[in-house]
Amino acid sequence: MRFPGLVENEILKISKQRRFRVVVLILVALIGLIVFAQSRGRERFRRGRDWRVQTQERMAQIQNWLRDGRMPAASQRWARFELGRLQYHLERNMDPEAISGPLFARGFANAASYLLLPLLAIVFASDIVSGEFQQGTIKILLTRPVRRSRVLASKLAALLLAITLTVLFGGIVAYALGGIAYGYAGWDAPVLTGFRIAGQSFDPSGIREIALWKETVLVYGLAWFAALCVGAIALLTSVVLRSTAASMGTMLAALIAGTILPRLAPSWDAQKYLFVTNLPLPDYYSGSPPPIPGLTVGFGAAVLAAWAVAATAAAFVVFARRDVLA
Amino acid sequence: MPSGADSSRDPDREVVLSAEGLSKRFGKREAVCGVSFDVRAGEVFGFLGPNGAGKTTTIRMLVGLARPDSGRVRIRGLDLARDFERALAHVGSIVEAPDLYKYLTGRENLLHFSRMLAPGAADRIEELAALVALAERLDDKVASYSLGMRQRLGIAQALLGNPDILILDEPANGLDPAGIREIRRLVRRLAAERGIAVFVSSHLLSEIEQMCDRVAIIHRGRTLAAAPVRELLAQVASDVVRVMARPAHRASEILAEFGPTEIEPDGAADVVATRVPPEKVPEALRRLLAAGVDVYSVERPVPSLEEIFLEITGGETV
Repeated sequence: MRFPGLVENEILKISKQRRFRVVVLILVALIGLIVFAQSRGRERFRRGRDWRVQTQERMAQIQNWLRDGRMPAASQRWARFELGRLQYHLERNMDPEAISGPLFARGFANAASYLLLPLLAIVFASDIVSGEFQQGTIKILLTRPVRRSRVLASKLAALLLAITLTVLFGGIVAYALGGIAYGYAGWDAPVLTGFRIAGQSFDPSGIREIALWKETVLVYGLAWFAALCVGAIALLTSVVLRSTAASMGTMLAALIAGTILPRLAPSWDAQKYLFVTNLPLPDYYSGSPPPIPGLTVGFGAAVLAAWAVAATAAAFVVFARRDVLA
Repeated sequence: MPSGADSSRDPDREVVLSAEGLSKRFGKREAVCGVSFDVRAGEVFGFLGPNGAGKTTTIRMLVGLARPDSGRVRIRGLDLARDFERALAHVGSIVEAPDLYKYLTGRENLLHFSRMLAPGAADRIEELAALVALAERLDDKVASYSLGMRQRLGIAQALLGNPDILILDEPANGLDPAGIREIRRLVRRLAAERGIAVFVSSHLLSEIEQMCDRVAIIHRGRTLAAAPVRELLAQVASDVVRVMARPAHRASEILAEFGPTEIEPDGAADVVATRVPPEKVPEALRRLLAAGVDVYSVERPVPSLEEIFLEITGGETV
């Protein structure tokens, strides 16, 4: 009955803290910077030439690399994938490097899903319990006539809301700023999705053509899901470590390890069960070659969900049982 | 002097808070061991002990922050462990420092905590702000409050739920004398006018003496039976007298007839500590003067908490 009031409390605390404004600022500044840098790069890249000619040149270049034979296996997989992707676009008479405001917005979700959005989720989640310990307010919070599990549930609800708003806000800013550089039209344009690599060769069987707006909704949904799962895991570190800095540090280390591991140890198969390996869900969906063979959207979402559920359960148990002494 | 001393001993008054054999150990260390007491409606109950005696651990068990290894806390008869929400609905507390959200205003803090209580708590905000004299600063950020103001806001927060018992942990810590007086007045008023039971912890005897009706002393995790403050003070420190006199050995010889004496060198004159029953002090002084001993001062020292505790337990080691 009082639960909405509890959630309101947690939202109030998140929104009144400086970190909220910092997150908004980071998103606007970073997206602005990306748009600026990218549009500059494109001018140099295109120089008014026809995209078909350019795509063919690029394919010839990749074929040369492949013939050369000195490429590591992982790069060869990528090269075959890229070759297939470019080929397919040429056949359909679609510019593989086309850009518009909507396309930029979709691309942002792909790029932000494995580092930026999880990072912002961590910024909110790391503080949500440990902050109360550090300020000493936990002593009042937990001596009010509300069971601890309800207090934590209200925090979880507010956290999920904050992450949802962050992803939405990121998308809106990406579209707004991308639109300045590339125009706002193009939501209905078709895009190709579902490129896959099977073993060492390109597999065109999953390729579909879908409207960009549909694709964008899907991609943001996946990025949102990944960010929520990271938030749930960071909630556990916040509960257990009771220090915002320690919690944030732990989660950051995990994120960074997740981006480095596939490159340093691509043959270690078990890393596909780590949550960080599965954060680029949007990439797995729209079909960049996954870092570890065999990763799919379904598998990644299941692994992430399992981590999130386990972390949330552990957070509730620890939070409800542990004595508050310090 | 406390006014409600007599009424609080009235066994008809309802027991609002009771600790029944609370124990808590951290590893090998027994922090609290079999602590029991009752706090009745309308009384100010002092919980006195040196730092590290187990006060804060006990308080944390009273408000549900820590789980006792054994024993039970009852609030208006409700078992805190089993009936957490209903039991704590009767309690307002400040544990250690009055930590509130510094980035929120006083009003936002009170609104925040009122949402965790039964409906209607928010309607009391204005009244409580006036009671703790914070009405004018209520819309300022807590970060700009002085420690005294934070303490008062903490009390307003604790009173939001119309509690039957108020638990204040070292409320005088860090306050200036004026702030301490204010808190003391407020506590006495809450007990007298609203019939709230107030549980106050302190490591200072003078604090408790001025504020409380009854007191329990905690020492190394164990408590003595609670007693009215005046009885407690009458029981100890009644017969130790320090006499500054010269020549000291002569004074010591004479005073030895009244009780065991001991000479402690002390600057200009020598000090003789002795045990003399209060009614015998005038006679002892007449004897000293008649014998030509110069008496510079006679004082009855306030015993330390440790001394009181040892005195009451008959000096047995705990």
